[in-house]
Amino acid sequence: MKDYRAKMHFYGRIFTVMGIGVMFLVPFMIWVVTGVGPNVEQLLVGVVALSVLYLPGGIIEVLTYGPILGTSGTYLAFITGNLINLKIPCVMNARELVGTEINTEENEIVSTIAVAFSSITTVIIMTLGVMLLIPLRPILNSPILAPAFNWVVSALFGALGYKYFKHHLKLVVAPLVLVIILSILMPSFVYGNIVIVVLIEALITILFARILWKKNLL
Amino acid sequence: MTRFLAASDVMTVKEAWWMYLLGGLVTLFIIAGSLFFAYKAYKRAKELEMPKEDLKKTIISSVSFSILPSIGIFIGVITMAGLLGVPLPWIRLSVLGALHYELMAVSVAAEGVSVSALTVENFVTIAFVMTIAIIWGAIFALFFFKKYQEKVIDKVKPNDKKSFANLIFQSVFIGMIAAYFGDAFAKMINYEVREVVDGAYTGVILDRTTYVPLIVFVSSFIFMAFFDYLVVKKNQKWLENFQLSLSMILGMAIAVFFGLGGIY
Repeated sequence: MKDYRAKMHFYGRIFTVMGIGVMFLVPFMIWVVTGVGPNVEQLLVGVVALSVLYLPGGIIEVLTYGPILGTSGTYLAFITGNLINLKIPCVMNARELVGTEINTEENEIVSTIAVAFSSITTVIIMTLGVMLLIPLRPILNSPILAPAFNWVVSALFGALGYKYFKHHLKLVVAPLVLVIILSILMPSFVYGNIVIVVLIEALITILFARILWKKNLL
Repeated sequence: MTRFLAASDVMTVKEAWWMYLLGGLVTLFIIAGSLFFAYKAYKRAKELEMPKEDLKKTIISSVSFSILPSIGIFIGVITMAGLLGVPLPWIRLSVLGALHYELMAVSVAAEGVSVSALTVENFVTIAFVMTIAIIWGAIFALFFFKKYQEKVIDKVKPNDKKSFANLIFQSVFIGMIAAYFGDAFAKMINYEVREVVDGAYTGVILDRTTYVPLIVFVSSFIFMAFFDYLVVKKNQKWLENFQLSLSMILGMAIAVFFGLGGIY
């Protein structure tokens, strides 16, 4: 396990550096080809304004989802993105189907394969979409279909929720009550800061689980 | 005249063939990286003598599950294409991107910009801001994930059924699902939508309430329970890999149904 992991850290880091390189290639290429550089002032304002949100967000995501994604899964997912709305639920679903425990080697394998094939599916669909944009645009843009994709994340977590709620019925009570109270008191905080809400909910569930576990109720 | 030239320039830049080429390159990079790690995992699985069936299950369920959310992500490209052309949103949403983040990047990097006023400078500034501000998770993983794994995650012994450690991860999952339940629930109380026209925020905030996401959440949950019943009790094993996608489609179909009735 140690050997395999060490290797995955090594490859994962190389992949991350390459990924960041590929990402930066795009704006630099635009700069080089057009000869027009970015507006430094707007650039700084933009980066600082967004980083205030996304720097702590990024760190929280690694800390929260790293254990779920495993070694190579983490490096892969933090370059391919769409963590919370795709990669994490995908891994949760796969490990639920296969029945592996977090932080085991089997789980590392399952999560890596899940993240890899999920990423491949996404980029293939994106590429097909770009190629077929002209015929697809009116269909995907139609007001009839709009509600479906507007709420795809709710559909996803509702469906995924069943299996987790079914197996841990007692654990569900505290986070559900808390999130309902939060939603009533400050709705815009809940849907506007989902990364933070996930963290709060996770901590509350852990605390609640700890209490039940100590009392031998689980 | 200058403005006209600048605008027509940016038109060619945002749809330039080399932008599409960059998109192709990014796509190939993601596919190659994914296949590399998947192959390494597969080799390791063979060494550990994991059942092939498990790996097959993982692949089929992951692909089938990812299709719908990926179409949702692609719709983001259409949303942004009006302002930024097709290739840049395609690239941005393929690597470390998310629609609401990209839209925010547009609004902070070129405040109040519209299609007709967009310049090449705006375009390149937007591309840089989008790339830089989302990168922190990857950087943090690059430098600290290994240490975090050794010092924190490895202290958890998952195979010890009596230990509390096993419950920690389950709790994170449940907390996450509950958070998304809250996301749907909160929109019933109040839901502010930032208006998007031609791929950029207009600054107009529409105050709404909607109970559709909650209905979608609950109905997908119920559909999943139904499929689970078919798999477990009626022995319809073939459904196992598709039950999540099917439940999602049906949940989303209900949203369409409500939309047809004028409820959004």
